Amino acid sequence: MVNLPTSQEWLEQSSQLLQARPTTTRITTKYTIPNPTAKSKSKKQRRPPVTAAASSDPSYSAAALPPLRALLTLKTYDPDSGACIKYQTDKAAEVGRLVASLGRLGRSMAAMPAIEDAPVSDAPQAEEIPPSKAEPIEGKQQAQGGGGGASKRKKKGKK
Amino acid sequence: MPGNHLSNDEFFTQLVGLFESRQKKGHGSVLLTQKRLTQGESSATTSSAKAADDPLWDLHPPHPVPIIIRASNGKSKERRPDKVKLSTVVQPGDLDAFYTRYAEVCKSGMQALKKRDRSKRKKDKAKKKKAGGAGTDAEKKA
Repeated sequence: MVNLPTSQEWLEQSSQLLQARPTTTRITTKYTIPNPTAKSKSKKQRRPPVTAAASSDPSYSAAALPPLRALLTLKTYDPDSGACIKYQTDKAAEVGRLVASLGRLGRSMAAMPAIEDAPVSDAPQAEEIPPSKAEPIEGKQQAQGGGGGASKRKKKGKK
Repeated sequence: MPGNHLSNDEFFTQLVGLFESRQKKGHGSVLLTQKRLTQGESSATTSSAKAADDPLWDLHPPHPVPIIIRASNGKSKERRPDKVKLSTVVQPGDLDAFYTRYAEVCKSGMQALKKRDRSKRKKDKAKKKKAGGAGTDAEKKA
């Protein structure tokens, strides 16, 4: 199971998995509003324990206990190979983009031709990444030369 | 459970209801799944025959295939009676329209996620800055 840091990486890897196993791969989107009264199973969501020093200072404890936020988890899973790719966020601003990603992946599930800049030609680009790590400048130019990589590079550059 | 699929319109109506019920309760989950449709009309016999011929037959199907979208409230085991299960089949030609509407329903349904709202977060400026930065970043990308 892999937890990816960005939705872009999640989209790229999910897209590759889906190309390899289009029939068995499923994508699950889980939207969870945590129950504030129930004990959370996962450590991440558990509120930090209030220490004696913190409880004596009201402003600190207020800052230390952010309201429990809903989470959105995207999971691409292929039961045949056991591959599982996950991305988690709590930002409402990302929902639109994520559903657009689901739409792209949905097209490749349906074996429909991908829309213009869908990362179809990204698979060979992935192999060009290691050399680009060794020689950053040269590698980047090389990747930009290859047509399909341009869109990917652009997005990375924007950050 | 073929035959129980809802029409796309009906699916959205019920999905909105599912989101609302979670919102009202204050906690809970909504699970959405999408997958290539492998059972139903044409497949059962043809797919097994194809699979015997060529293990990679599904990489390049001759025609676009429909996909199935499922939604549930994630109740299982002892809470099985409360479980809500919705499903709908999206035809390849309807994908774009479906996902446009899907995005609207999800955006309005997932209200408990962290918003870009600045007025509410004046208390801790560091966090506000962070949220604002992430927000504009997302805007650029979108």
